[in-house]
Amino acid sequence: MTTIASTAPVKARKFRFSTTTTLLIAYVAMCIIFALLTPYFLTVKNFENIARTLGVVGVVAIGETLVLIAGGVDISVGAVAAMSGVVAGILWGTQALPIWACAAGGLLSGMLVGLANGAITTRLRINPLITTLAMFSIVRGLSFALTNGQMNQLNNRSFQLLGRGDIAGVPFSLLLMAALYVIFYFILRWTGFGRNLYAVGGNPTAGRLAGIPVNRYLLAVYTLCGLLAALGGLILASQLAAGTPQAATGLEFRVIAAVILGGTSLSGGKGSLIGTLLGVIILRTLDNGLILVNVSSYWQEVAGGAVLLLAVGLDQLRMRLGRR
Amino acid sequence: MMEAPNTQAAAAPLLEMRDICKSFFGVQVLDRVSVDLNAGEVLALIGENGAGKSTLIKILNGDYQKDSGEILISGEPVQLTQPRDAEAVGIRVIYQELHYAPDLSVAENLLLGHLPRRRGALGQMVIDWGRTYEIAAKYLQMLDVQIDPRAQMRDLSVVEREIVEIVKALSGNARIIVMDEPTAALTPREVTLLFGIIQNLRSQGVAIIYISHRLDEIFQIAQRVAVLRDGKRVGTLPIKDVSYRDLVRMMVGREVDQSQRQGSAAPAASSAAPVLELDRLSRANAYEEICLQVRPGEIVGIFGLLGAGHVPLTRAIFGAERADSGTIRVSGQPVAITSPRDAVRAGIGMVPIDRKVQGLVLGMPVRGNITLSRWSGVSRRGFFQQREERTHVQKWIDRLGIRMAGGMEVESRYLSGGNQQKVVLARWLEANVKMLLLSEPTWGVDVGARADIYDLLDSLAEQGLGALVVSSDTQEVLAVCHRILTMYKGRLTGEFTRSEATQASLIHAAAGGEA
Repeated sequence: MTTIASTAPVKARKFRFSTTTTLLIAYVAMCIIFALLTPYFLTVKNFENIARTLGVVGVVAIGETLVLIAGGVDISVGAVAAMSGVVAGILWGTQALPIWACAAGGLLSGMLVGLANGAITTRLRINPLITTLAMFSIVRGLSFALTNGQMNQLNNRSFQLLGRGDIAGVPFSLLLMAALYVIFYFILRWTGFGRNLYAVGGNPTAGRLAGIPVNRYLLAVYTLCGLLAALGGLILASQLAAGTPQAATGLEFRVIAAVILGGTSLSGGKGSLIGTLLGVIILRTLDNGLILVNVSSYWQEVAGGAVLLLAVGLDQLRMRLGRR
Repeated sequence: MMEAPNTQAAAAPLLEMRDICKSFFGVQVLDRVSVDLNAGEVLALIGENGAGKSTLIKILNGDYQKDSGEILISGEPVQLTQPRDAEAVGIRVIYQELHYAPDLSVAENLLLGHLPRRRGALGQMVIDWGRTYEIAAKYLQMLDVQIDPRAQMRDLSVVEREIVEIVKALSGNARIIVMDEPTAALTPREVTLLFGIIQNLRSQGVAIIYISHRLDEIFQIAQRVAVLRDGKRVGTLPIKDVSYRDLVRMMVGREVDQSQRQGSAAPAASSAAPVLELDRLSRANAYEEICLQVRPGEIVGIFGLLGAGHVPLTRAIFGAERADSGTIRVSGQPVAITSPRDAVRAGIGMVPIDRKVQGLVLGMPVRGNITLSRWSGVSRRGFFQQREERTHVQKWIDRLGIRMAGGMEVESRYLSGGNQQKVVLARWLEANVKMLLLSEPTWGVDVGARADIYDLLDSLAEQGLGALVVSSDTQEVLAVCHRILTMYKGRLTGEFTRSEATQASLIHAAAGGEA
């Protein structure tokens, strides 16, 4: 029995690394290796470049973390991000609406897809993997159908601020992402909503019997995820100055990889935004470093997958050793 | 199949565990525990939850590694680093949760992994079904049991599944069988059947370690009893030299006697509206026309055997499952309870039958579990106030005597059954409910924690809480309830005050006899 009837303090923390510490060590090690391989890596300019590209994956990963903590998963985030840009681009193309309304239209489309994801998984009780995989295909297809595969210009100065602008030398998208991380970190850690999310993912039956409206929470969290994916899509559209249906291809992999790398459990009930943020930074830095040492983009994909397997494998090993 | 009893057995016991130590996270769970076992003997292993029984058994089965100590089989030291090693020396553990393939036949389950093959065109690919059933039937005959080897596991009763598990152990030449609470889910008749099997095993020279919370069983079946407390062996004694009270004292380290419990006084009749009132509540094939009242400060018991309909009834009151018709009133007001959330809002809490599945979020700290249902007491404007939350939680930990290693931040999965149950109770106290539904509240809870929970219910009732205790344990309803209703096939069949109820009268009424 692993139950322990004593009041002695848990000493385990002293010699077991937390996921965060492990990730930080891995990150530093990775940076050292790249710095040794190429003089272009360890420069202010390069890290500025990395920071500039964090926003899209970073913002979308917040929503994905929430969904995974609540015991679900959302594969449709990449498609939603693309659609959000497409919708904004189409609306802007009509020249009838101000840019903020076009952006809002993009966000709304993402929310609606998220709401649909939530409604289908909770009401029809279809497995979230299947639901969002189907939605991934539907939404991506719709984006192509709506545009005939063409891109729509989004050449508006204030819209460009979102993805390309700076405030006091800091990229706006980075500031936005940081603000969202702070807000959602507090929500997860210090509000009843956040606390209940962990309960919903950890044990939905017990959560329901404790009086938590589990389905409403899932609905909310998928909707939030759709919204944040749409916001990520707008940042990307702003960087591309266009809404294109091909945008954000493979984003779902990057996002889910970052979240899992950050220690969030696929089975729900466990996870943190600090971990997710570290996961996003690590994967982004890895891509950047591999480009600088002239590794082809094909091999970058291989590396991304390998790092994910390695990280999760090590985590499993660590847990198994901890249990012995 | 069976090996002849070892000729050296006279000198060395069949199994000897010497000075076993084990700690988790720096906490000593087993402290120099020694146990020995002879062929043809039943040794009862008892102790409160958290005393170290399961850890000891897991070490014996090779699931855990001991920190120090020795394990000897017939005097020979053995290394058990994985379950396969234990199997090789003839040790089999039959856990409470059985592992079997429900959709396969008894024979397939018995021979899983070594089904006999037929030589033919496909080499050894084709299974020889004729021989499979033949061999399985032969194994089942070893214990004289009437189980059809062609039956699906799913269709067997709990005791039959356990017996199949035992037969499987024997077919693998097991000499030492450990049974972890084998009677927890059995009816009295099934227990008798199981005990017959155990006697049969003994006569074949098999040694048995028998773990149970039901002390009366131990007197029926065991020759010796080993008591663990807080990871230490308190003693190993021949069963004929000890009394029930001795065992309880050894386990708990103090006097606890359920049968002598006074309990709290029933509340005086008053004009106050019943805190809970059911008016002709019905659900097809579950319960019919249930009318009952629970007054503030009253503890009402519903006693029924498995399947009497009391479990779905509590689920309906709590909104986990709807009734077809009837009214529920809380403090005189009719309430529509369509979800557990409605019930919590109406001031009703539920301690479910299976705390691990329905009661707790096991991966969450004790702290979060206690403030799960109502956080308004420990938060401001929707944000948790760390200090207040800790104070509230600490108050419940002290008041309920929740014991755990590592304090309130430890995940609730690491608590023993009794302490987990207290955490569920603490949650409802934090939520400030006025009515508590308890479904088998001390199922799988050890004697000491059981007494704690009963005392707590008494003191809560004195403060005006109403409680409905649903149980299939007569001792339990007799120990704690002011008034006891019996239920049989979905109907209430009797009503007793505590002073008039006896074990016999309750069982009689709950088994369909005239009250």
